[in-house]
Amino acid sequence: MAITTTLTLKSDAGDLLTDELSVVTSKDLHKAGTTTDLNQVRMGRNEIPTGTSFDLLDATTLAINKANKVYVSNLSTDETYYITLVIDAKTIGRLYGGDWMFIPWNCDDATHDIEVTASTGTNTIEWACFHEGETLPTQGD
Amino acid sequence: MATTIAQLTLTSTDLLSDSLSLSAVSTLTKVGTSTGIEHTTGLARAKVTSTAKGTTSGQVTLYTADDYAAIAYLYVKNVATTAGHKIFIYDDTTSGDPIQFQLDANDFAFIPMHGDKTYMAYSPGGNDPLIEWMVLGQDQ
Repeated sequence: MAITTTLTLKSDAGDLLTDELSVVTSKDLHKAGTTTDLNQVRMGRNEIPTGTSFDLLDATTLAINKANKVYVSNLSTDETYYITLVIDAKTIGRLYGGDWMFIPWNCDDATHDIEVTASTGTNTIEWACFHEGETLPTQGD
Repeated sequence: MATTIAQLTLTSTDLLSDSLSLSAVSTLTKVGTSTGIEHTTGLARAKVTSTAKGTTSGQVTLYTADDYAAIAYLYVKNVATTAGHKIFIYDDTTSGDPIQFQLDANDFAFIPMHGDKTYMAYSPGGNDPLIEWMVLGQDQ
């Protein structure tokens, strides 16, 4: 069940640098410490209103030291809109309209939730988490 | 205006019952504007020989807090090819030096950083993996 990720960073000669910038890297997503493909995914699309911090992804003990690859994209078209991403109460970054990120999320413990807060206006995001080790919540939790 | 493009593709033909094909393209700009970023550290490569956070040598500083104006984009890749040869990236600014990212062999990340935290790397397994990284944004 190969999931292939490719990142390209590109700028023409005379633009960011005097020479061309071209960085291309590719990786099949594997379970931690193995060459076994990841085979589980959660994904979604959400509208994030301003004023409240939301849990985008809950860290669980099952995810500790496992592979958790997270993609988040801010679909807002207004470049002044942004979402703030926080892990375990530490701000990781901001995604302005049109920005995206891809991180190997570290779940040290169950407090390492990924939280999102929208600013300026309601932001729409798309996200995916390719992972291992998850079981569904027991009924009634 | 400098134009710098960051693109991510995620594809799979067998994870789901239908094909997964996702592409995200972003033109890297100064905060809240459509003006392109103008600075970069350039691509760097180093060996990570430290096996614990907080040790005095062998760690690699990927980014120093407030070196760039927010938002600074960090590209980082673990160049190791053997599964399990991990690199941990931790926040050296916050008390307790929390680990924020784990890069297994050949893993990469692209992070629009808040920019106010120093990020450092070490390798707990003592495998001395190579790391590549680059910061893009606005130097200050």
